Amino acid sequence: MNDMTRPDTLDPPYLYPGYGSTLLRAPREPLLQIPAGTLDVPGPSVPRGFARDGENDLTRHGKSAPLGEKMILTGRLLDADGRPVRRSLVEIWQANASGRYAHPGDRHDAPLDPNFSGIGRTFTDDEGRYRFVTVKPGAYPWKNHAFAWRPQHIHFSLLGNAPVQRLITQMYFPGDPLLAIDPVYNSVPDEAARTRMVAALALESGIEGIAMGYTFDIVLGGARATPLGI
Amino acid sequence: MAQGRTPSQTIGPFFHEALRWKDGGRVTFAEAGQAIVLAGRVLDGAGAPVTDAMVETWQLSPLGRTPAAASGDAKPHGFGRVETGPDGRFRIETAMPGGELPCIDVAFFARGLLKPLRTRVYLAPLEKVRADPVLKALSASERVKTLVAEPTAAGEYRWDVRLQGEGETVFFAA
Ligand SMILES: [Fe+2]
Repeated sequence: MNDMTRPDTLDPPYLYPGYGSTLLRAPREPLLQIPAGTLDVPGPSVPRGFARDGENDLTRHGKSAPLGEKMILTGRLLDADGRPVRRSLVEIWQANASGRYAHPGDRHDAPLDPNFSGIGRTFTDDEGRYRFVTVKPGAYPWKNHAFAWRPQHIHFSLLGNAPVQRLITQMYFPGDPLLAIDPVYNSVPDEAARTRMVAALALESGIEGIAMGYTFDIVLGGARATPLGI
Repeated sequence: MAQGRTPSQTIGPFFHEALRWKDGGRVTFAEAGQAIVLAGRVLDGAGAPVTDAMVETWQLSPLGRTPAAASGDAKPHGFGRVETGPDGRFRIETAMPGGELPCIDVAFFARGLLKPLRTRVYLAPLEKVRADPVLKALSASERVKTLVAEPTAAGEYRWDVRLQGEGETVFFAA
């Protein structure tokens, strides 16, 4: 008995040897099967004022514009029935255009950008839409295996409306040759599911002559937890 | 229309500033309650501290209700979010959850976890915890005690978490 016996097996396994950090962190004991619905309870409700206006524009957090390809990232947050997840907190973080995080633990010898923290947050609107203004993150090396580089990605954290909707994921870019050899991306067993983590180029959702457009819809689990009528 | 879910990916090692909330480890409620602290250490399969995890908690209010919505620019009631430190320790200041069998739902996110580990910690004696129908599949097992926090100083509960190996914490399929 393990989590792969559950109906919803699209998430990666805990133990994925290709991603070395899973080796000492994946539980070895079988997971406890708990009665259905146990964790399907109402979740934390984050007041709209928790994110300030402008926190969704990562290009305006410094004194001047950050380096890199400016991009407008838009998308919808949906539940498994395709209904919008409204007024829900979206938090993102990413490397700068050189592939360096503004994080003390990042030892990659690429320059920091004083005008880019790589951190943003916003709320979805009444149609479940969100919008960020940012720059395209660079790829970066990591020590998982020889010559390992993470594909360009943006980290997403979604609270949804209920604990069963809680999701932390990564958004990738179309056509990135590093995707084919990235163990984190490929830890998702199903190809169609992997593809759902790749944004689409949508130039017309950008700003003419200024910023490229990408779209990325996110589908959360736990449809029945989405409150109706809010 | 049914849609395929977006899969989970690891939080990675660089989330701290992005996901750090002001007073994220001080859980608030609309009601007054009995102040308690939940503190412990997260260890990996080699017994080494997990120094880069994020711990999230969610629980009933002191009166045993779903925590009321907060307002303004406050963080949500009933919800805790903290990082583990260089020694793998975490600490949440909260209020005793109401209800027959006080417990706190906990999720761990970390580098090396491609999806969160979920479980529940009980602030109640082992015999009562054993009787919880949620743990039915485990009721005769020694492992139940990995879900019971140990009262220490006044109002402090100690709960150590082992992700893998000897004394491995029970995690939920969810
Ligand atoms: Fe990353």
